Amino acid sequence: MEQLSALPLSDEEIVRRTLTDPNQYGLLMERYEQKLKRYVTRLGVRIPDDQLDVLQEIFIKAYRNLNGFDTSLSFSSWIYRIAHNEAISFYRKKNVRPEGHMVGDGEEILGFLASKQEGPEVIFDTQINAEEVNRALEKIDIKYREPIILRFFEHKEYDEISDILEIPIGSVGTLLHRGKKQLAHVLNKDILRI
Amino acid sequence: MEDQPNKESCKESVMNRIAGEGICPRPKLFFQSRECAVWALWLGSVVIGALAMAVSIFVLTHHQYALYEATHENLATFLIEALPYLWLVTFGAMAFVAVYNLRHTKRGYRYPLWQIFLSSFILSIAGGVILQVFGLGYAVDHMLGRQMTMYASEGEMETSLWQNPADGRLLGHVTALPQAPSVLAAFTDVEGKEWLLDVSELSKEEQELLLKHDHVKLIGQIQDGTSKIFHSCGAFPWLLDKAATRDDFMAARKAFENKIHSYEERAEKMSHMKNFDNLSDEEEKGETQCGKIAPVRRMAPIMAR
Repeated sequence: MEQLSALPLSDEEIVRRTLTDPNQYGLLMERYEQKLKRYVTRLGVRIPDDQLDVLQEIFIKAYRNLNGFDTSLSFSSWIYRIAHNEAISFYRKKNVRPEGHMVGDGEEILGFLASKQEGPEVIFDTQINAEEVNRALEKIDIKYREPIILRFFEHKEYDEISDILEIPIGSVGTLLHRGKKQLAHVLNKDILRI
Repeated sequence: MEDQPNKESCKESVMNRIAGEGICPRPKLFFQSRECAVWALWLGSVVIGALAMAVSIFVLTHHQYALYEATHENLATFLIEALPYLWLVTFGAMAFVAVYNLRHTKRGYRYPLWQIFLSSFILSIAGGVILQVFGLGYAVDHMLGRQMTMYASEGEMETSLWQNPADGRLLGHVTALPQAPSVLAAFTDVEGKEWLLDVSELSKEEQELLLKHDHVKLIGQIQDGTSKIFHSCGAFPWLLDKAATRDDFMAARKAFENKIHSYEERAEKMSHMKNFDNLSDEEEKGETQCGKIAPVRRMAPIMAR
């Protein structure tokens, strides 16, 4: 019993508790603030003040809609969906095109390049410059960039990406496949062996 | 990536806003109602789509294909006029609304668009077929025709096609049979106009049909415009009701073809006899009356093939 009580609370349990005690919401914010900040940055919200505004809106929106949280999803997917929608709203309000900004650091980029489970059969040189990949990711269509970010930099599973982007699971695979293909075209061929 | 001061300020400002602005989670009922509304809209669009399909099926199956040569130059012009555009557009719009709503249910995004579209489409078509089996296509078309002046029901459209004496078509009923040796029956058309109907070229079956039905369709031509004598060349039953079957239409088609064929044969025979100059005035008159009506002229090349 002692062991059980020592286990950290699940997100879903904290949601349940927040509905009776709003102060519990702070726990969820602590868990997700950095992840979401990183995510919205990757989606193109660059300026720190904008990031703070977007984050606040995400958490306020999530709090308002806590009763609408679908327990068949993970809380993580649900709040990432809100973050995704909020980032889109941000672009619309600012009337700017979303541009990625340093999607991943060196290590993440290497992890992405090493991943071969999603086609096309693109094999990258491991000595690649992370900055080059970041720049190339900025150039590909947002519809391809988002699944790539979620899959390779946020380490989400297909079903989670499907829930976050609200697209069928089959489309996730297709978008990743096409995204990597487009990326391969964009990348500087002097640096990469494709 | 970790950013401690920012983290504190974000959490604090959010908690302060929640407390300061009195922000509360929306009640569960709000989300349940929204989900119900989306499903209700989907269901509504499928039902309306099914009704549109039912009326389309009714219109398409009850249009007078059997006698299209009597009303139109060719099958293409007939089909252009026969298609129930309003209902097909309504069906398409409802399919779109159904897909949109299904996509916006809680888990609608998980299914590919084609699956959502196909399921809504098939449901509407299946619903339409079932509704039409129970006569709802006819009922809706008939009711709208009566209630809305802008809407022309299938019955009204058929009536306007067949009530056109100048073009050789008449719709109505016999009020008095001819007394021998006269061949003129009293006939009232759907507009209430009274006619003398020359039935001399109608077969015995057709004359019986005149008595049996409340409404009959006639092909022929006005013999004398001032005295309103309509020379009848063919009589067909008015089949536009929910009970009419495919067999009824097939029988009408067969009768129509036989009738036209008999006039063609007769015209051929007349032309052959003319060569020997032994044709009586009466016979020649008969040939000119029915052998030259528009349906015979239109069908001659088809029948010859």
